[in-house]
Amino acid sequence: MKQPPPQPHESAIALTRRGFLGALAGSAATATVGAAPAPPSRSNPYEYKVDHLFKTDPKHLLYDTHGTLRLPVSDGRRVAVGPENQIWVSAGKTLLIFTSGLEKLREIQALDVIRALAVDADGTVYVAVKDHVEVFDPQGRRREPWNIPAANTWFTGIAVAEKDVFAADARNRVVLRYDKSGRLLGRLGEKDTSRKIPGLIVPSPFLDVEVAPDGLLRVTNPGRHLVETYTFDGSLVGSWGKTSMGVEGFCGCCNPINIAMLSDGRCITCEKGIPRVKRYSAKGEFEGVVVGPESFPEGLRTGAVFNKWDGSMAGVDAATDRQGRVLVLDQASNTLRIMVPKKPAATT
Amino acid sequence: MRETARTAAMAGLGVLVGGIALKTGASHTVWQIDPYKCSWCGLCATACVLQPSAVKCVQIYPMCGYCKLCTGYFEPEPNALNTAAENQLCPTGAIKRRALEDPYFEYSIEEELCIGCAKCVKGCTLFGNGSFHLQIRHDRCVNCNECSIAVVCPAQAISRVPADQPYKFKSREHHA
Repeated sequence: MKQPPPQPHESAIALTRRGFLGALAGSAATATVGAAPAPPSRSNPYEYKVDHLFKTDPKHLLYDTHGTLRLPVSDGRRVAVGPENQIWVSAGKTLLIFTSGLEKLREIQALDVIRALAVDADGTVYVAVKDHVEVFDPQGRRREPWNIPAANTWFTGIAVAEKDVFAADARNRVVLRYDKSGRLLGRLGEKDTSRKIPGLIVPSPFLDVEVAPDGLLRVTNPGRHLVETYTFDGSLVGSWGKTSMGVEGFCGCCNPINIAMLSDGRCITCEKGIPRVKRYSAKGEFEGVVVGPESFPEGLRTGAVFNKWDGSMAGVDAATDRQGRVLVLDQASNTLRIMVPKKPAATT
Repeated sequence: MRETARTAAMAGLGVLVGGIALKTGASHTVWQIDPYKCSWCGLCATACVLQPSAVKCVQIYPMCGYCKLCTGYFEPEPNALNTAAENQLCPTGAIKRRALEDPYFEYSIEEELCIGCAKCVKGCTLFGNGSFHLQIRHDRCVNCNECSIAVVCPAQAISRVPADQPYKFKSREHHA
């Protein structure tokens, strides 16, 4: 069968340079798409399913957000309450002091990154940096820093009592007791079978200490998922806490990371992994949630900002004031939020 | 004058081409995962041209907490903290658990069994110290011209690195 002769218009297409290059690019693109293997399915047969843990049952939520403040200085890390309900926040090397209504009053510069702070009743502030303690008088003037013997110290918590200061050293798994001049008086929390003290377990750089209204200390034991009660001379009085991913327990390898005490002896706990702030009775019974994981930014929930091993591992800190409010500092978003107890529903 | 300009242009072009060739030449570079970008999506286990994958979990011991409840070893809510298969997170049992001084345990990876699925990496990073992470093992990787995992990696965590520095391990020093 004879092929029909080509028509004049078919053989005489005027192919411009631009048209030729366009056609060439198009052909190449088509060829590439055609030759490329089909992308594999994005479904993950090995998925680690924990999404359900990052949601709080509304019945557990005890608090409402009363106010928030984006910190004016980066690297917000710790929060404490001082005289006149002033709110003290550490951010990098800076101490920020606010009124209870979040109006900024002043700021103080420390010599190194602040890892913990405690404010005395007279306004003296004790600041734990990595390996020593700085002290500022009520006017913000720096006193002579305490001389801490070199022992790879890594302070992550500090608390002040009437005559004593307690500094939690995460690296050496011990709470050091000082007088207010910086003289070492004792060591708490170390394993001692004769005193029936199992010892602090601190897998990650979080160890916190608080002075409770009952005149005893509360010390986190994150590797055992406990909050322990000690006398000032180091006797272990008791402990509470439960290992669980569930809301009533402490999740992951090591929690709680930080604690705060309410004036009636109830305890506020902060967790990493599943970032959440919760309230427990003075006996350690779970009462409810102050801030649930869904309220924290994605980076804190997915762990994207966890990749720091210098004690700045993203986490959450909390403090309480005399009005019963809970101040929650979220390192990932560098935000302080004031949480107030929910008002009971009106009954008819 | 024109000849000089042409020579200079050719020399410049030569340097440019040479630089690109050096940078992209497969013989001088290998594929590797940036552990700080990895999002533990699981595709390393299924997208590699090798089965099992050339991607393996590595354990950075100085970063490990030696936890009794290792969240890279145990299911999120295990029945008990023992080595029963039902409690283990790893689908192939590639993580070995060894008791040390109470209450510490050592966790190590048996690479022959590891398929690079990153379940343990996600568990360790979300709830632990993040000492587990993925790396492409160069005794297995065939160094494809186009890495099929890199193509699908949602975090774009895989790139070519110099062959004389073929690994990107996490380290405490990096963080400190």
